[in-house]
Amino acid sequence: MAKILKLLAVAAAVAVIGAWALLGANRGWTKTSVGIQKVDPVTDISYTEYESRFVPGVDFLAVGLVGAVALGVIGLVISKIQSTKKP
Amino acid sequence: MKKAVLIATTVLATSSIWASSTSFDFKDPKGVNNVVFKLDAPLESINGTATGVSGTVTVDPADFSTAKGKITVETSSLTVPNPMMKEHLLGENWLNAPKNPAITFEIKEVKNVKATNGSGTADVTGTFTLNGVSKDITVPAKIAYLPGKLGDRTNGKVQGDLLVVRTAFQINRSDYNIQPGQYQDKVSETIDLSLAIAGAAPKS
Repeated sequence: MAKILKLLAVAAAVAVIGAWALLGANRGWTKTSVGIQKVDPVTDISYTEYESRFVPGVDFLAVGLVGAVALGVIGLVISKIQSTKKP
Repeated sequence: MKKAVLIATTVLATSSIWASSTSFDFKDPKGVNNVVFKLDAPLESINGTATGVSGTVTVDPADFSTAKGKITVETSSLTVPNPMMKEHLLGENWLNAPKNPAITFEIKEVKNVKATNGSGTADVTGTFTLNGVSKDITVPAKIAYLPGKLGDRTNGKVQGDLLVVRTAFQINRSDYNIQPGQYQDKVSETIDLSLAIAGAAPKS
């Protein structure tokens, strides 16, 4: 059980960091839409069109890593309890 | 005598053509008309746009100083990429969109017009209303009159003229009672606003 939790913690940390890096390594807040700059050819007005896209930010990274650390700590606590119970 | 009457008639006719005001509708179904807002605080930078632009400006294209009208931006159309930030922005502690559904600018006076061939600059004074607070401000504007260009925008379906207005100016959020003196490390006191809009005057 303790070993599974520790492995899950490592996997969660890797997954969170990997997802954050692969989806743009955004150092701002998480975005659920991304603006795309366009120019109206007649009036020359620049405008932004938003398309729905999930871009994880530092809040996603922080929550994910805190979760992974929590799993790891629980795993360590369980393994310590198990080791103290052993004769 | 006949010649004098003819000249006077011609002058009057000509001046009446040039003095004709045209009404431009700034409601843009294409969503191109937009306002960009930027707040650059020490800890956080907030960039967003608003597209819910509407309103009418009546102006003689040969004399921009005749402009009268009102431009409205729907408060609920303000968009930032982070959904929680948008919720806060439109919530009752900040812009309170349900209570203050519109941000408006009503033109009072246009001065310092410098224009040639239908495009130029001017200083536009008007009443700016944000968060339920109205203040008279003067903003620099670039104005371009594009005769016959509406057809290009509508693939020939509607013929007419376009009036393109651009402006960029700054306001202080405390002047409009937006959390005055609060959260200045994350939400800048100064708000940079830039507006680029095109109004259409269809011709039948």
